[in-house]
Amino acid sequence: MSTTTWAWLVLLFPLLGATINGLGYRRLGRVGAGIVGTASIGLAFLCAVGALFSLQGHDAEHRALVSSLWDYAVTGDVDAKLSILVDPLSVYMMLVVTGISTLIHLYSVSYMKGDRGYARYFSYLNFFVFSMLVLVLGGNFLMLIVGWAFVGAASYLLISFWYRRGTATAAGIKAFVINVVGDVGLVLGTFFVLRHSGTLDFLGTFRAVHGGAFDSHNGALVAGCLLILVGAFAKSAQIPLHTWLPDAMEGPTPVSSLIHAATMVTAGVYLIARLHPLFEAAPAAADTAAVIGCLTLLIAGTIALTQTDIKRVIAYSTMSQIGYMIMAVGAGGYVAGLFHLMTHAFFKALLFMAAGSIIGAMAGAQSLDRMSGFRKAMPFTFGCFVVGGLALSGVPPFSGFFSKDEILAFVGNRGGWFVAPYVVGYIGAFLTAVYTWRMIFRAFWGEPCAEARELEHGHLAHAEVPTNPANGEEEDTDVGFPGPEHTIAEWALPMKVAMTLLAIGATVAGLVQIPEVDHVITNFLEPTFADSKYIHDEAGSGLVFFGMALGTVVALLGIALAHRIWVAKPGSAAAWRERFKPAYTLFVNKWWFDEAIDLLVVRPFAAFGTFSRRTFERVVVEGTLVDGTTSVVRAGSAAVRAIQTGLLRYYAALLLLGGAAVLLYFLISAS
Amino acid sequence: MTLSILIWLPLVVAVLCVIWGDRAAPRLALVGALATLAVAISFVVRFDAGHGMQFVTDRSWISALGVHYSLGLDGLNVVLVLLTTVIFAGATLMANLRADWERPAQFYMWLLAGETFVLGAFCAQDLILFVAFFDLMLIPFYFLTGIWGAGERPERVRATTKLVIYTLVGSLLMLAAAVATGVLTAQQHDADLTFSLAALARAPLSTGSQEWIFLCFAAAFLVKMPAFPLHGWLPDGYRTMPLPALSAFSGVVSKVAAYGFLRIVLPVFPDASVHFQELLLLIAVASILYGSAMAFSTTNARLVVGFSSVAQMGFITLGIFALNQDGVQGALLQMINHGLVTLPLFFIVGLLAARAGGSEDLRDMGGIAFRAPVLASLFLIVGLATLAMPGSANFVGEFLILLGVFKAKVVFAFVASVGVALASVYVLRAFIRAMHNRVGPSVESREVTFGDLAVLAPMVLAILALALYPQFGLKRSEAAAKAAVTPALVAANGGVTAGLDVPPGWTAYAPIGKGAR
Amino acid sequence: MSVLVLAVAHAKAPHIDYAGLSPFLALTAGAILTLLVGLARGRWVRHATPLLAIATLGVAIGLGVWQFGETTSLISGALLADDLTWTLLFAFAAAGIGATLLAWRSHAAQEASPGEFFSLLLFSVLGMAILVAATNLVTLFLGFELLSIPLYVLCATELRRERSLESGLKYLIVGSVGSATLVYGLALIYGATGSTDYAGIDKAITAGDGVGGDVLLLSGIGLTLVGLAFKASVAPFHQWTPDVYEGAPTPVTAFMAVATKAAALGVLLRLFDSALVGAQLDWAPMLAALAAITIVVGNVGALGQTSLKRMLAYSGVAQAGYLLAGVIVASQLGAKATVFYLVVYLAMNLAAFAVVVARERVEGETDDLASFAGLGRTQPALAWPLTIAMLALAGVPATAGFIGKVFLIEALVEGDYAWLAIVLVIGSMISLGYYLRVVATMWMREAPTPAASGIPVIAGGSQEADAAARPQPEVLAVAWIAAAATIVLGIVPQPLFDLAADAGQALTGIF
Repeated sequence: MSTTTWAWLVLLFPLLGATINGLGYRRLGRVGAGIVGTASIGLAFLCAVGALFSLQGHDAEHRALVSSLWDYAVTGDVDAKLSILVDPLSVYMMLVVTGISTLIHLYSVSYMKGDRGYARYFSYLNFFVFSMLVLVLGGNFLMLIVGWAFVGAASYLLISFWYRRGTATAAGIKAFVINVVGDVGLVLGTFFVLRHSGTLDFLGTFRAVHGGAFDSHNGALVAGCLLILVGAFAKSAQIPLHTWLPDAMEGPTPVSSLIHAATMVTAGVYLIARLHPLFEAAPAAADTAAVIGCLTLLIAGTIALTQTDIKRVIAYSTMSQIGYMIMAVGAGGYVAGLFHLMTHAFFKALLFMAAGSIIGAMAGAQSLDRMSGFRKAMPFTFGCFVVGGLALSGVPPFSGFFSKDEILAFVGNRGGWFVAPYVVGYIGAFLTAVYTWRMIFRAFWGEPCAEARELEHGHLAHAEVPTNPANGEEEDTDVGFPGPEHTIAEWALPMKVAMTLLAIGATVAGLVQIPEVDHVITNFLEPTFADSKYIHDEAGSGLVFFGMALGTVVALLGIALAHRIWVAKPGSAAAWRERFKPAYTLFVNKWWFDEAIDLLVVRPFAAFGTFSRRTFERVVVEGTLVDGTTSVVRAGSAAVRAIQTGLLRYYAALLLLGGAAVLLYFLISAS
Repeated sequence: MTLSILIWLPLVVAVLCVIWGDRAAPRLALVGALATLAVAISFVVRFDAGHGMQFVTDRSWISALGVHYSLGLDGLNVVLVLLTTVIFAGATLMANLRADWERPAQFYMWLLAGETFVLGAFCAQDLILFVAFFDLMLIPFYFLTGIWGAGERPERVRATTKLVIYTLVGSLLMLAAAVATGVLTAQQHDADLTFSLAALARAPLSTGSQEWIFLCFAAAFLVKMPAFPLHGWLPDGYRTMPLPALSAFSGVVSKVAAYGFLRIVLPVFPDASVHFQELLLLIAVASILYGSAMAFSTTNARLVVGFSSVAQMGFITLGIFALNQDGVQGALLQMINHGLVTLPLFFIVGLLAARAGGSEDLRDMGGIAFRAPVLASLFLIVGLATLAMPGSANFVGEFLILLGVFKAKVVFAFVASVGVALASVYVLRAFIRAMHNRVGPSVESREVTFGDLAVLAPMVLAILALALYPQFGLKRSEAAAKAAVTPALVAANGGVTAGLDVPPGWTAYAPIGKGAR
Repeated sequence: MSVLVLAVAHAKAPHIDYAGLSPFLALTAGAILTLLVGLARGRWVRHATPLLAIATLGVAIGLGVWQFGETTSLISGALLADDLTWTLLFAFAAAGIGATLLAWRSHAAQEASPGEFFSLLLFSVLGMAILVAATNLVTLFLGFELLSIPLYVLCATELRRERSLESGLKYLIVGSVGSATLVYGLALIYGATGSTDYAGIDKAITAGDGVGGDVLLLSGIGLTLVGLAFKASVAPFHQWTPDVYEGAPTPVTAFMAVATKAAALGVLLRLFDSALVGAQLDWAPMLAALAAITIVVGNVGALGQTSLKRMLAYSGVAQAGYLLAGVIVASQLGAKATVFYLVVYLAMNLAAFAVVVARERVEGETDDLASFAGLGRTQPALAWPLTIAMLALAGVPATAGFIGKVFLIEALVEGDYAWLAIVLVIGSMISLGYYLRVVATMWMREAPTPAASGIPVIAGGSQEADAAARPQPEVLAVAWIAAAATIVLGIVPQPLFDLAADAGQALTGIF
């Protein structure tokens, strides 16, 4: 079976799963829906593996295969076929997406047990995987944009999955609209590229770029790339378009784990890597990406330090980690970025799953302030959380260590002003370690909280009145509500299995790419990035080992600090807060991004809407254009009726006047 | 089989409805509408995208005035004709679901009469014939709104009168302009008097005459669409019109106006089109922004749809006056898409109102989804198509439109793209307010009936099919679209035909102020 | 009449083309006969006289058809019997027949004895025929008076209704002022050109050292114009129209509305486009201005009216403005357009007035718009003709009104009066306001309960009874035939075009 056939199959199965679950939501009960959902993704993963092997069958020069079904929109300058592009990059993404998704579906089978929208959930989740695969497989800009928007829609559906919650629907529309802004940027950027390349097809565009289509129009290319970056930033929650990601935590935890950590939010990284020929031809845009990524990783890290909602902490950490990736691909370290994308997928998914397990134990509560001492009550969850934490904070030999270090080494190696991002990267690493372990220490160490103690006695806490963790309002219990009973990893095999596998991944995934030892990923992705001008600048071994050492030290320091504040000297946090009051205010208010956007964008449009409806429509459209004209006519008719007195003498007068006028005209015209 | 059969069939059925009386009318009308649809399909099947005007009928109607009864199908109208029959079939079915029309025979008579006139307007290849059908279109909707509309009688009558007068005002100006076009052309080229569109396009008027005539046509079309700020009749008209009529009116009647720009204005008044390009683009952008603003600030579900279509028509106008092939292609596709989403949207508004205690106000809705997952998902699909989510044919339409404008006047493209984001706001706002959040006070949620599905399912399937294969519309209209804009492109090029080929209208970023290139 | 006979007797040229004269003679004879029969006693009279009148008009039409195509100068150039004459004669006769049918069982015809009523009608028709056939200022004035005087009387025939008497009186006074102005104008023209006969006048004006632009001539034209403007109810000389139309018995109103206007426009066409065509550049702008004023005043005035007859009066004023358009441009196209629209106008108004008559018979002496409420439900047979008439008057396509407007606009644009065309369409926009109001009243308002509408109910007294009280067949026939004609001519206008074309050809002075 040919490589592209495998790829089409990868697309097919999730779509089938979504359709079956969507249509048969009445027939197949919980079990059925779960099986269909998970199995379809599992099959997709197998096909992805099949694609991998058959791709490796080709020789390196011929590992970019295109296959089209039919003309999608072919007219004028638009030449969009329904086509996919299978090359190492897309196969790599396929593997990550399907692999992680399979595990998360498995996890969901138990985690969502209590929810009445079970089939709906799996059909949405399958649809998401399908969309994500369209995104990574699309063979031209239009297909990419389609996948791009589909994942946005899927993310919307899943964020407001518990649609009884006003907070959830609000978060959903926020996420969707910001993503549409991204889509628009992507579309406009595409126009700039299309204008000079004359084609939407990826390979065609790259040929055009190498053929010098933009040499005389570099401005256009830069503009295009910057607009494309808008799309990337919106999807990957880079500042200032990141505000939707924390709110997106309204969705079910597995969703946060899959979409808002492991896969969708990394699409921006994929996009830049996919379009690297364009960005390398427009270095200004590439540098912008690197800078924004660098800023994001720092800002997100600082915010994560102060949040108390466990899921939001992880969300900000996700932002920060994607910041690393964007910085990497912006700087030209595609392999490094994608490597981190993969490892991050493992450990971040794992962290979310563990968090979900704790939330289950807390009967839906998510605030770190209420959690403590779960270490004994939930050993398994604790173990997973620690593994994830170590990987995230980059402690050797966990996966995060290698990937993050490769990024920083590459950036450092670029030299010049890239030294700044290099330093910031290590600061970020330090922050990462601190906030990660703050989370762990607060949740697992200390006096066991009520829920934890109950759990030690073998029964799960159960809220008598379910409330919305976001705003504490009482839940409206029907479809579109999480459901009263919860699940924890300790008690559910599927969750255990999924988390174990991820934990293994998070531990060993880094070993595939150890400097001076092996370069599995580099070698695999080589064909895609062969044309990159950075492909061969390896960081010198000195820099690499210095970096490794520094990274380890920074991570351990961070952990130590966290331990000092939240374990060794409980309560000293408050003192720190006092000491760095301004900084703390800034961080805890998330640098006021939400407020700024609200002030600069949302309010003006809302005002415009109100003005249109209240004022303009009434005064101008109704008042002037419609009633104005009619009233003029009415006035006229009133006048005519006024002179129509019915009295002959008035008639006689008027007719004399009229006659006189006529006569006068003729006399004048005569002379 | 000539086009006349297609056009007049509904009217014949309409008369039969009256003859056979109230009992038989509903079913009879439905059969008639479906038959018309079948005939239309047969034409689309036999249509050959390669050739130009096809199935031409051309008889002298009023020889003294040089008016011909001439019909024909080409890339511009073939799919629109299909759309018309689809929409009217859907509308008739909608009407059938509601049994309690008073005097049903007359109701269906007017509805089908409307179909005949719309089809006539789409097929007409003679200017006066077009104008006649264009004006005639309104009369059925006048009666439909006035007799069967919602609301108290006096308001209803006021609304329908406003609707007709406001829109006929434009049309009458157009009548004068149309006659003038024929006569002046005959004078300036001392040829025999003719109103055949093809002939008029071959012999363009002097720029001076073109300009005032253009304004008259533009007035007629912009009012009918409606475009900002000429939409004064819309709120009352939409609030009162009975839903079947409304979905037909907003679905296809508004398209006739946009189609008029393509069929008449661009080919016959190319210089004026270029001269007023920026004015029209400005109106289009204003319609997009204003329509969106109204759509996300009003709480009446009908008006949300109504103003969203103001915005959509704005996009269509934008594409047309990009004055290049991509824009026109996009506009044509978008007309079809918008027609396809409008009917289900209005139908859904009806269903929602039925579940929200008869109120069409979003504030009285909420949480309807929980017992009606099918309704919710259908609404969602239609909604996402409406906001032109990539993957829908609507997106392809908007993509081409924006691309066209991007080529012609890059600034307008950027401003208009704001409308894309706003669309997602008003659609999702309406969806969430109606379907999600807490359950509204007088809401009792229930699933759609099979009758409802009979209306919704085919439309949604059509939307999905077109989403998978937008080329269906594009490949049929490509040649005609190119032909329609070429005169304007030549005019923009300073009358030089050279340099228009590869790629058309595509030489430099034209900032505001320069001509369309 | 006798005057005419005298004129014939003293004519130097002995040869009289009786064939050409036959329709006129037929009308004269018929009128006299009707008058005589009317003197007889017995109930049969009230049916015999209208039949006789119809027969006469029928004969006149027949003879006209027989003579059609001939162009003969009668009585040494006093009259010209050509296709224009015949075409307009057909229109007058048709209007006459319609009016007769409407008046058949009216109070008016009964109160003033039917004989007088119908013979007066016939005399008036004769007057119109002579007016448009006239090719001599004297015969013109003769016809003018012969047309007017019977109408003064007819307006007042409902002796017991003072509104009727008032209208008769008003019409008499205003009308005689008009006649005075006219005859004064004619005298001046004669003085300027030294000839009373059209050909002579034309020669005098167009001659190289002619009197074109001469003060005497132009003031003559001006006064003539004013005089005729009265009859055509052109603003600002229209004010008698609403009052007279409202007061007069509806059948008479119908006759005046269509026939008189046709006659006035016919003579304007004949006089200005043949005799005075040489001075077109002088009078056309004035006429155009008058037309514009008329269109605006008529339409705007009609808006607020609650009485249907008054509304139709104003709409008639407006339509007169449209009709002038064809005269102004002084072209073949214009003449044709005017003739065409005249006929269409006749059909549309007859239909409307027939319905009004029918309603009056049921509802009592009321033409208040309110009494038409819900007609679409209670009596579709009446609602449809009125609806068609209203839509046609508004110029909706698929009715003759639309074609007529297109024709007129075409003439205007071709004659470089595009601005007037715009005024015309703006007028029609305004007109939608009141025409649609009637339609809305009939179809979209509930029929009032008799208690609610405080008007005396003749038949029955309840809705059902009203619905049961069928309108007289002849009235219904007029309504339906007229309405049908409006639609048919809107879809296949060609025959009428040919007729109008022949009529237009008759005016050899213009191209």
